[in-house]
Amino acid sequence: MIEVKGLTKRFDNFTALEAASFTAEPGRVCGIVGPNGAGKTTLIKHLVGVYRPDEGSVLLDGAPIFENPAAKARIGYIPDDRFFFTKAGIGEMMRQYRSFYPGFSQEKFDSLRQVFNLDEKQPLRKFSKGMQKQAAFWLTMACRPDIYVLDEPVDGLDPVMRRAIWGLIMGEVAERNVTVLVSSHNLRELEDVCDKVCIMDKGRIVIEHSLEDLQANTVKVQTVLPQGAELPAELKVLSRSLMGRVTTLILRCSAAEAKNRLSTLNPILLDVLPLTLEEIFIYELGGESDESKKVV
Amino acid sequence: MRVIIQLDYRDARPIYVQIKDGVKRMIATGALAPGERLPGIRELAANLSINPNTIARAYKELEQEGYIYSVGGKGSFVSQETTAADAQKEQAMQRFDSAARELLSLGVDVEELIRRLEK
Repeated sequence: MIEVKGLTKRFDNFTALEAASFTAEPGRVCGIVGPNGAGKTTLIKHLVGVYRPDEGSVLLDGAPIFENPAAKARIGYIPDDRFFFTKAGIGEMMRQYRSFYPGFSQEKFDSLRQVFNLDEKQPLRKFSKGMQKQAAFWLTMACRPDIYVLDEPVDGLDPVMRRAIWGLIMGEVAERNVTVLVSSHNLRELEDVCDKVCIMDKGRIVIEHSLEDLQANTVKVQTVLPQGAELPAELKVLSRSLMGRVTTLILRCSAAEAKNRLSTLNPILLDVLPLTLEEIFIYELGGESDESKKVV
Repeated sequence: MRVIIQLDYRDARPIYVQIKDGVKRMIATGALAPGERLPGIRELAANLSINPNTIARAYKELEQEGYIYSVGGKGSFVSQETTAADAQKEQAMQRFDSAARELLSLGVDVEELIRRLEK
């Protein structure tokens, strides 16, 4: 299990992370989302032991990850910026990975060859960004890590390859009970793969919740209410807007509760819809505020 | 077996519900016969590129509803007693519900629907 407790990181006067805490369990996929500059990559660099925490701790099964080769050997990291030796091809990088990672499996490496179909002799720097990313997955998955830390993992990949790679990772979760931590701006895709999401903002983790609970307890309602109808006071309204006669509400409650409470007002129209992760993100972080509308 | 569950991202239903409905449809149409093994969780997760826990949840609920049963270590199988007719009925009911919802939202009142049913 990965545990982050009260993690704070400052760069000069800038606080990149402030008392961030969360956990990630084996067999679960945890999504890390947040606006640009929220601290996602800084957090990830702590998870893989690149940064030393200023305060707090980052633990794998109870042991700090920083400067701990035993912990790092179990972590597979796909960074957003890929790094390979200048002239190395996949074959040469494979030998590097094999010598560093005790879990490396030649059999796994060979079986992944058919998925990736890349020239193993060509220098990796001659590959496109997407092909380099594929190479990174190929090498990392061959190391059979217990924990995958993925920073914008499918950025730059074509749709077929994105699906193939998510399929492989989901297979690893089901088969080997691996822990996956993934940051992405593609919320649509995260919805399919995550058990839980951590929403970050300004260096803090503002929400850590199972996706299922989050989606079961936040609903969007589109309704046309009779003239002069007042919303029941017990309803927890996150957002309310009126377009023509249609009121759109974001409510913090279950779909059944929203339906029950609003039906008492005899609405002319009442539609209760589940919220997408993207909508949750926008409403939680106030992206629908007047600020963003002023620009247009 | 070929996995014929299709996920529709424009669909408002949560993914686990789409999987449940997909399996029910396969049972209703006979694409899955009583006693037949369902695709394994790992296989389906890799195939659809979705979280295995989501599939496990769908299977668990299908089991509670009696559509399938699981044998430890062997996987999940289509129940014998779930006749195709039952699943088909359930499917038709769902279509009926959504048609009724649509009609109500178009301003047709309940009495009119009842009159139509009695005809």
